[in-house]
Amino acid sequence: MRFSPYTILFIVAAAAGLFFAGFSTHDFVEHLDRQVHSIHCSFIPGLDTPDVSGASGCHVTMMSPYSSVFRSVLWGGLPVSLPGMAVFAFLLFRGVDLLVNRGSDERGPRVFLLAASTLPLLTSLVFGYISLVELDAACKLCIGIYSSSVVCFVAALLELRAASQPRLGADIGLVGDDVPAGFGDMRGHAMSFGQGVGFVVAPALVYLLVMPDYAGYVGTCGSLTKPEDQYGVMVPLGPTNAGGADTIEVFDPLCPACKGFEARLSASGLDGQMSRRAVMFPLDNTCNWMVGSAVHPGACTVSEAVLCAEPGKADAVVAWAFEHQTEIREATKADPGAASTMVLAAFPEMKSCLGSAAVKSKLNKSLRWAVTNQLAVLTPQLYVNGVKLCDEDTDLGMEYALTRLLENQGAATKVKGGTQ
Amino acid sequence: MNTGLHIGIAAGALLIPTALTGTWVASASARLEEAKATPSDEAQVAVAAAADEGYCSADLKKVLRRVLQSCGLLSNGEVRGCQPLEAKNVATVAGGDFNALFAPLADRAGIIQFDKESAELDPGDAALLEQLFADQRGASYFFVVARSSPEGSEVYNRDLSQKRGEAVLGHLKTKFNDPDLDKELGLLWLGEEVQQLDEEFCSWQRSGGTEACQPQDLNRSAFVAWIDCRL
Repeated sequence: MRFSPYTILFIVAAAAGLFFAGFSTHDFVEHLDRQVHSIHCSFIPGLDTPDVSGASGCHVTMMSPYSSVFRSVLWGGLPVSLPGMAVFAFLLFRGVDLLVNRGSDERGPRVFLLAASTLPLLTSLVFGYISLVELDAACKLCIGIYSSSVVCFVAALLELRAASQPRLGADIGLVGDDVPAGFGDMRGHAMSFGQGVGFVVAPALVYLLVMPDYAGYVGTCGSLTKPEDQYGVMVPLGPTNAGGADTIEVFDPLCPACKGFEARLSASGLDGQMSRRAVMFPLDNTCNWMVGSAVHPGACTVSEAVLCAEPGKADAVVAWAFEHQTEIREATKADPGAASTMVLAAFPEMKSCLGSAAVKSKLNKSLRWAVTNQLAVLTPQLYVNGVKLCDEDTDLGMEYALTRLLENQGAATKVKGGTQ
Repeated sequence: MNTGLHIGIAAGALLIPTALTGTWVASASARLEEAKATPSDEAQVAVAAAADEGYCSADLKKVLRRVLQSCGLLSNGEVRGCQPLEAKNVATVAGGDFNALFAPLADRAGIIQFDKESAELDPGDAALLEQLFADQRGASYFFVVARSSPEGSEVYNRDLSQKRGEAVLGHLKTKFNDPDLDKELGLLWLGEEVQQLDEEFCSWQRSGGTEACQPQDLNRSAFVAWIDCRL
């Protein structure tokens, strides 16, 4: 056994990666009970208080469509941090094995270690780019994983370089020159690769086998009693799909959950199967008597702007509102007229409409539509042909539940159509 | 290489993600089952409802219901309006009832003041009416109480107050095209006979100028207000 500092560094980095990926997986798996949970978002997870605000970079990342795969067939999908955890466990195994069970001059295991370290490195580069550019979120757990990946790779590279140096003993004939082949040991590499695959497959299989069955929850969260738009206040939202499932979204343009939901919906492609209309439901007591305070200051004004938009232009207002959510809320908190100023700066053509009696009445009718249907006071809510997508299924489980809801409602519509 | 040691290290390392995953998922699964078995906390989420403000006392609601019913509002959804005789005799809209009904609404109500012997809304009247009607918030009922000043005969003034009430209703129908209007609106015309407004109301929102605040000015009017009560 040779205590190479690079191997030890590699082991420490792999253990750190396992630690961060483990916390990330744990936080994800916690949500499989369909409840809301706090999330660890720290460089020292477990010691810091978990984040309950739902506004941390880790939360944004976890709720994003990039945090898991196979979302339409599994509730929440398979978290990408799970194979991440398995890969780091594998690297830890290989590092410890190299340290305590291999000769100091074996090149093959070191070559494989470097090759294996390339996987988390490349994955980290891709996810780091997504996190910073696409999600604009700094997820501390993820940064821990990315850093561990880089250190693993660098340590593996240095370990290989150190092992490749001519050693003093060999030069003077004290050590034999029967050093095993490096890149040429393909059988050994294939076996090692197989081990790595086994490390990833085993926990993934356990995940799939122990996971609950969620099919029974879909479509059991109520329905609209009076879905008709008798006040003419619903606003077409998203892509226009003739023949898409009639879908109503109860919506607040300044609600972060609505923004996240929209991103997930768009990324899933399921919005292409719907003909979606929004009912404005700002959680702001300036116009909404059902909330005790302005949960999202400025939401009433921005909702008016959505209602003021010319036909086909509401999406642009919603996109603008999503992009400036935090600024609008903060500015309105300091100055109640700020939202109106910001809207008019972005959409000057709304000057005669914004704040008018007609649009205020329209917004009020949107709220009264919610009263008529006795909806819960929260956003977002989605109804496919009048059947509610459960609130618990609007984030991680959205793709799974909505896919089934669309299938069920599509089938129901066909049956209904066939009997008429 | 010691193969036994190699396998031992591999097994130990593999156990970490596999066992942790199994434990965490099983735990989430158990919590899910538990939540399914116990009553939902859905009730903790507020349900959308019309406003029911603090001033909506039992007595006020009783008066409100009586007036609404006597004016045909709740019986068949159509507005036929209360004439003075009905307002006085059927709904017993006495001074006390009226004060109880409208006094807490100082910031919600407005007085649309008409010109003498006129039932036409001028631009200022229309603007105030629209502003007040658009500010419905969570209110369920909109009251229009039309009056006339005492000059002229009782019959003439009764007709004039009816026309004023109907002018308000007509303007709201045209301007807002609200399918619920008939269900929300309580229309009374009181002529000169019942509960005239006094100078106390000068400080309320009015479409008349500051100088037009004599009792006769105040009563050539339609008093309008949203009422934030659930019945």
